Amino acid sequence: MSVFSETFHAPSLGRPTATGWLKELSARQSVLTGAGVLLVAAMLPMGFASLLDARLFNGIDLWIKPLKFALAVAIYMFTLAFFASWVEEATRTARWFRGLALATASAGTLEVFYIALQASRDEASHFNYTDNLHMALYGLMGIGAVLMIGFSAVLGILIARNRRLDVAPAIRDAVVLGLTLSFVLTLIPAGTMSAMGSHWIGGVHSDSGGMALTGWSRDGGDLRVAHLFGTHAMHFIPAFGVVSALVLGPERRWPVWLFALLFCGFVAFLFFQALAGQSFLPWLH
Amino acid sequence: MDPDIIFRITNLIALFGWLVLLASPLKPSLAERLSGLAIPLLLSVAYCGLIFAFWTSGKGGFGSLEDVARLFQTRQLLLAGWIHYLAFDLFVGAWIARTARLDEVPFWAVIPCLAATFLFGPAGFLLFNAIRSTKSIAAQPGMSTKVMS
Repeated sequence: MSVFSETFHAPSLGRPTATGWLKELSARQSVLTGAGVLLVAAMLPMGFASLLDARLFNGIDLWIKPLKFALAVAIYMFTLAFFASWVEEATRTARWFRGLALATASAGTLEVFYIALQASRDEASHFNYTDNLHMALYGLMGIGAVLMIGFSAVLGILIARNRRLDVAPAIRDAVVLGLTLSFVLTLIPAGTMSAMGSHWIGGVHSDSGGMALTGWSRDGGDLRVAHLFGTHAMHFIPAFGVVSALVLGPERRWPVWLFALLFCGFVAFLFFQALAGQSFLPWLH
Repeated sequence: MDPDIIFRITNLIALFGWLVLLASPLKPSLAERLSGLAIPLLLSVAYCGLIFAFWTSGKGGFGSLEDVARLFQTRQLLLAGWIHYLAFDLFVGAWIARTARLDEVPFWAVIPCLAATFLFGPAGFLLFNAIRSTKSIAAQPGMSTKVMS
C-alpha cells in the first residue's frame, strides 16, 4: 500500500515552485496562509530597518526579535494551513472553524505587529512591567499566544476524529501527536517563563553572549530552548512519522508513539535543565 | 548605512524605472511590471524600513506645518519623505503610460507628461489628465470610431 494518500500527495509535492506551494496552502486554508505571507512580507522592511538602525536591545540589534517572531509565526501559520485540509470537509468549512482560523491568524499577526512596534520604540514587548498599559498589553499577548497555539491542539483533535482521512496510520498518528503535543509542550515552558518574568535563569541577562542564530544563553538556563523544541513537535514528530512509514511500514504505529514519548522526554530534559540554571549547549558559539 | 548612500541608490533605481517607462512602447508588459510594480514596491520596502527604524526617535508629526518641518529635521525621515516621492511619482508615471495606452493617447504626447511627473509630480498628473480630457472631447461620437472607456 502507498504511504501517502491523495489528500497528502496530490498537488503539493508535484509542484515544487514557491508559488505552487503557496497556491496549494492557500487552497487548504486561505486565511492562515494569508497571515503567513503577510508576515514574511513584513520581514523585508524590518530586515532593511535592522541594517539602518544602530540601536540595541538586550545587547543585540533590536530588530532581531521581531524578525525571528515574524518568521516563526509565519512557519506556524503555514503548518496549520497545511494540516487544516486533513480535517473533515464539513468541519473545515463550518463557520466556527473558519472563525477560529481567522482568530488564530489575527492573534499571530497582531502579536508580531506589537513586538515590532515595541522594538521600534526601543521598549520591551514581553516581560514589560513598566506601567499598567504595558502590563495589560503583555497580558493580551499571553491571551493571543494561548489562542494561537490552542488552534494546533484543535486541529490535532479534529484530525484524530476524521475517520475518512486516507493517510497511513503511522503518519496520521504522528500528525495528531505532533499537533497536540506542540500545544502542551509550548504552554508549559512559555507559561513558566511568563510566571517567572524572564526566560533567563542565572547567567547574564543579555543576548549579546548568546548562541549563534538562536541567542540562547551560554552561561545560564534559558527556557526558550524548551519552548522552541516543544513548539516544533508539530514538525519533528510528523517528519519522523513519514520516515517511519517509509522504513518500518505505514501500518506500524508504535515507533511513532515511542518517538513522541522520547521527544516529550527530551523537551522535559531541556525544561529542567534550564530551570536548574544550566545552559543547553554552552560550547556552541 | 549612511542616508546619503541610500539616497543615491534609491535615486538610481527610480531613474531606471523612469527610463523603462520612456521605453515602454517597446515592451509595455515589462514596463508595467518593473516601473508600475517592482520598483515602487522595492522603494516602499526602503521607505518602511526607514520609518520602522527612525519614526519613534524623530520629533514632530503631521498636525501642523511646523510639526512636519520638525519631522524632516531628522535626516533619515527626510530621506524617507524623498523615497515616498520617488515611489509614488513613478507609480503615477506608470499609471500615465498605461492609461495613455488604453485610451490610445499618442506616446509623443505622453513624454512631456512623464517628464513633468518625474520632476514635479502633480504637475505631470494634471497635464496628462488635461491632454486625456481634450482627446476624449475630440473623440465624441461621430468624431472617431474608438469607444472610450
